[in-house]
Amino acid sequence: MAMNPMEQFEVRPIVPLHIGPYDVSFTNQSLFMCIVVAAVTLFLTFAMSGRRLVPSRTQSMAELSYEFVAGMIRSTAGDKGLVFFPFVFAIFMFVLFSNFLGLIPGAFTVTSQIIVTFALTALVMLTVVVVGFAKHGFKFLMLFVPKAPWYLLPLLVPIEVISFLTRLVSLSVRLFANMLAGHTMLAVFASFVVALGAAGGILSALSITPMFMIIFIVTLELLVAFLQAYVFSVLTCIYLNEALHLHEHH
Amino acid sequence: MPPPQPDDLRRLGERIDEAEQQRSQSVKAAPPTPLGIAFRFGGEMVAAVAVGAGLGWSVDWAFDHWSPFHTRPWGMVVLFVLGATAGIRNVMRAAQELNAGMAEKDVEK
Repeated sequence: MAMNPMEQFEVRPIVPLHIGPYDVSFTNQSLFMCIVVAAVTLFLTFAMSGRRLVPSRTQSMAELSYEFVAGMIRSTAGDKGLVFFPFVFAIFMFVLFSNFLGLIPGAFTVTSQIIVTFALTALVMLTVVVVGFAKHGFKFLMLFVPKAPWYLLPLLVPIEVISFLTRLVSLSVRLFANMLAGHTMLAVFASFVVALGAAGGILSALSITPMFMIIFIVTLELLVAFLQAYVFSVLTCIYLNEALHLHEHH
Repeated sequence: MPPPQPDDLRRLGERIDEAEQQRSQSVKAAPPTPLGIAFRFGGEMVAAVAVGAGLGWSVDWAFDHWSPFHTRPWGMVVLFVLGATAGIRNVMRAAQELNAGMAEKDVEK
């Protein structure tokens, strides 16, 4: 048995499909994205179907996620930021469910693909730019002009522009790298169990130790899965806040 | 069992308010782990340098292909340095945010 810890990240076509020169196959990646969206929708509609004043357990989970995101937006972008609640909530739930569903053995982790996290980040940054221009017009460009003597501006403005573009990379890579590293680590430890078990004799008995490690790593990964979804949406809120209130945060 | 008094209701309301306040504080205070901080700083720096170098490379490529002038390798040299500067700026900003967050927490204690 070949034990390649990176094999789990391979994108395989399920329904091959080509439009012109483009490969638009329905892959395991697309399948799991659909599953994630379906899971979020099912969870929220099912949990809220009772609409009880005193919530049931599932209903309170749905309400908790709602209040959590709402509180996050209020504390970072103020009450005005609540306009973006649907946007931030959608991103949070998508990333959270992708991370959690990816932890099920055999499942594919959507957020372990850099193109997915990059597309999400690009969506966030495009929203920031569009909202900024819609709200402030060309004054939005003042975001790139720090308070400094005029003769330093030719140097500082390009730095600020690069620093703005950096978010595209740092936001997407953070989520992607965390997921990739965690799942690779799990696969590596799992392969230790198999290898030690197959070695025979006293080594077989030792195969229980990496198994214990896996239990701890899985709990750690559960924390990371939630934390990364949280970090991603908090940073989304912070960037939206900057577009809404220029320079007020300094 | 005696009927509930207005006082009882008020006390219940106070207790709910108290509990809610405590919960909102616990949600807000998700302290970054040392590893998280290290990753944040490293990520900011690397990302900025990568973006700077990438931009510089694209500028050179664009000039090579679409203009009679050639800027290679100066676009990359200049933008790489600017990217590194932006990275340092980002790390400084991240450190300031972290410090502010920690100072806030100290005040609350």
